[in-house]
Amino acid sequence: MRRLRWVAAAGLGAALVAGCGAGTTPRLPSIPPSSSSSAPSSPAPEPRSDCDDNNHASRVRSYAPGSPLPAGDTPSQTLARIRKNGKIKVGVSADNLLFGYRNPITGQLEGFDIDVVNQIAKEIFGSTQSHIEYVVENFAQRIPDLQSGRVDLVADIMTINCARWSQIAFSSEYFKAGQQVLVRMNSRYQDINDLNRAKAKVCTAQGSTGSENLKKFPQVRPELVDNISDCMVLFQQGSVDGIISDNTVVAGFHAQDPYARIAPRMLTDEPYGLGIPAKDVDFVQYINGLLQKWRDNGFLRDTYAKWLPAPAQNPPPAVYGRALPS
Amino acid sequence: MAVTAPPTAPAPGGPTTPGGPTVPGAAGPGPHTAEPPRPPHTWQVLTRATRAWFEGTPGRLRVAGIATVLACLLFGIFAFVAASSRAGALSDARADSAQLVRVQTIRTNLVSADANLTNAFLVGGLEPPAARTAYEQGIATAARTLAEASGNNTRDAATLAGVNDVLTRYTGLVESARANNRLGYPLGAAYLRQATDLLRTDALPQLESLDKSVQSRVNHAYAASADATAWLVAGLVVSLVVLVVAQVWLAGRTRRLFNLPLVTATAIVLVVGIVLSGVMWWSLDKAKSTRSNAYFSTLALATARADAFDAKSSESLTLIARGQGQPYEARFRNEADNAQAILTRATEGGNDDIAAAARAFKDYRGVHTTIRKLDDGGNWDSAVALATGSSPNGSNAAFQKFNNASGQALDQSSSQLRHELDDAHGPLPAFAWIALIAGVAAAVAAGRGVSIRMREYR
Repeated sequence: MRRLRWVAAAGLGAALVAGCGAGTTPRLPSIPPSSSSSAPSSPAPEPRSDCDDNNHASRVRSYAPGSPLPAGDTPSQTLARIRKNGKIKVGVSADNLLFGYRNPITGQLEGFDIDVVNQIAKEIFGSTQSHIEYVVENFAQRIPDLQSGRVDLVADIMTINCARWSQIAFSSEYFKAGQQVLVRMNSRYQDINDLNRAKAKVCTAQGSTGSENLKKFPQVRPELVDNISDCMVLFQQGSVDGIISDNTVVAGFHAQDPYARIAPRMLTDEPYGLGIPAKDVDFVQYINGLLQKWRDNGFLRDTYAKWLPAPAQNPPPAVYGRALPS
Repeated sequence: MAVTAPPTAPAPGGPTTPGGPTVPGAAGPGPHTAEPPRPPHTWQVLTRATRAWFEGTPGRLRVAGIATVLACLLFGIFAFVAASSRAGALSDARADSAQLVRVQTIRTNLVSADANLTNAFLVGGLEPPAARTAYEQGIATAARTLAEASGNNTRDAATLAGVNDVLTRYTGLVESARANNRLGYPLGAAYLRQATDLLRTDALPQLESLDKSVQSRVNHAYAASADATAWLVAGLVVSLVVLVVAQVWLAGRTRRLFNLPLVTATAIVLVVGIVLSGVMWWSLDKAKSTRSNAYFSTLALATARADAFDAKSSESLTLIARGQGQPYEARFRNEADNAQAILTRATEGGNDDIAAAARAFKDYRGVHTTIRKLDDGGNWDSAVALATGSSPNGSNAAFQKFNNASGQALDQSSSQLRHELDDAHGPLPAFAWIALIAGVAAAVAAGRGVSIRMREYR
């Protein structure tokens, strides 16, 4: 399993490096050393409600720990409820090799997001033992589950964007990803534009940012599935020509299929955040506090190093000052 | 009525052969007449001859002779048709009931193989040899039964070929799932999901619709077997009426009370008719009781088993879906409710084996309820342990008890069904031939009886 993870990680590394080299989107921006991130730009954050997907700061802006709460909320009411239940209900993925997957050998869930969830449980309850209820979700189920209260938190490579901010809340950004395309090793398609010109079949998951992005390529014949790993089955069966998804996902697929190739161009910017119900502003603040601590004490960096290629990404800095939901 | 016909017919000296008038060449050269008599047409001659044949007492005797002979033959034929159509309908019922059991066996084995597979994946790690063997046995039995079923009825062959296609694709997907699983690739789970979905959305609906159409064929066969009685009754009544009327008329005309051959013919028809009616009544009664007992139990058990295995497989799928298993749990409830309702109804027949199967299924549902409580309470690991382990109070052990009890009851009731339908069918073909021969014999006797009177009259 460890070997597999490194293969996947190498794929992701190559993807990230290639993405950088291509220079189409600014990947891996220079991030100040983690020590400096302990003093985030939050002395007097101006609450702002404007959100623009093209403006990174306005997109990833979250609620600062200890900042004002909506009227009637108390600082730790969500946390108190979770503590009382003795369990945190978390939406995760089970088929995403690097971030959240079910290890077929042990039957256990593993990955970067799973480690983050375990650490959150440790902070809340003192241990992970039977304090986490995993809800395995496909991408389209994440927002409805947060809105209905089926889960308290989603840790499932979730892209922060403005459309989603209108439905749920996000923690501060904890990972930078971007979309890439997976094609066959001997494919004549080099890029999404080739697939588009050839009116090729491209697969992605419903409710993912990949499916939104695919709309920009109108010639492509989209194949939308429930679970992103169903795309890989279709890909291996030859019924789709390519898969568009986050590099974190396609790197995992590439690791499981040496006959696949990742097209180098990074198509989008996908800042990841933990999804939280919109009303639980106090919990967002609490989680942001934890993320801040992990940026400072090196936990995030270590976890990157555990799952992702060296050199490990520096944790993206937090941006605070989002206006409270009305 | 041709007015000119009578005088010409009795003309004694006339050398009129039937061919004569129609051959103008023979008389043509005769120079003596200017107006030769118009030669009558063939049909006129025939009509004349026929009329003469039925004229007077000898004619009526001839009519009586033909009527009684035909009546006896009619009895023989109708009785033959009645007995053989009953026999045919019963062998159809037997063949289609067996086909029904086959269709449900295919369904049961496919779902059971799938249940074993999903159960093994749920545990994680290399699948236990026992689970793999169980899966392979299920697939082998399903494939064998598919071939058997499509050989047994060509009408079902197209649907079964469709199911066979799905089975081939299904096993291919399963092997891909295994290969990925062996490498430690989580992609194996996606292949497994595809395989299971394919089975459920493609093969099972085809089998369910086939099941319905075979059931309606069985019902049709039972109805046809009941209808067969009408032929026998019609043949018997008509031939007896004709024979009796003919004898009464003969007695009045010839001043002889009895005509032994005709009495013999009547006796043959009556005795064979009554015996055959008895046999027919017995076979119908037997078929009816088989339908409401052995057939009903067989149908109930086969269907309940298929539904129950479907439910068991849904249990694993609910857990695999981990938190998103509501559709599978809904399927479980649906299938398990069906199975339970069918078993409860079948238990009312007083069959102890079925009652045991029903009890075992109820026990299994108890375990399932516990599993759901654990999982819904966020205790997934314990739920999985209970659902997959081989512990005696786990789900697998409880289900195995149901599997054994219901399998045994099904074997028993389907072999009972086969034997009873064989019994009901058994004497019918022989009796059909006996009735036909008896009809011919009676016809010979009747013909002879009337011809005696004819001779007496001359």
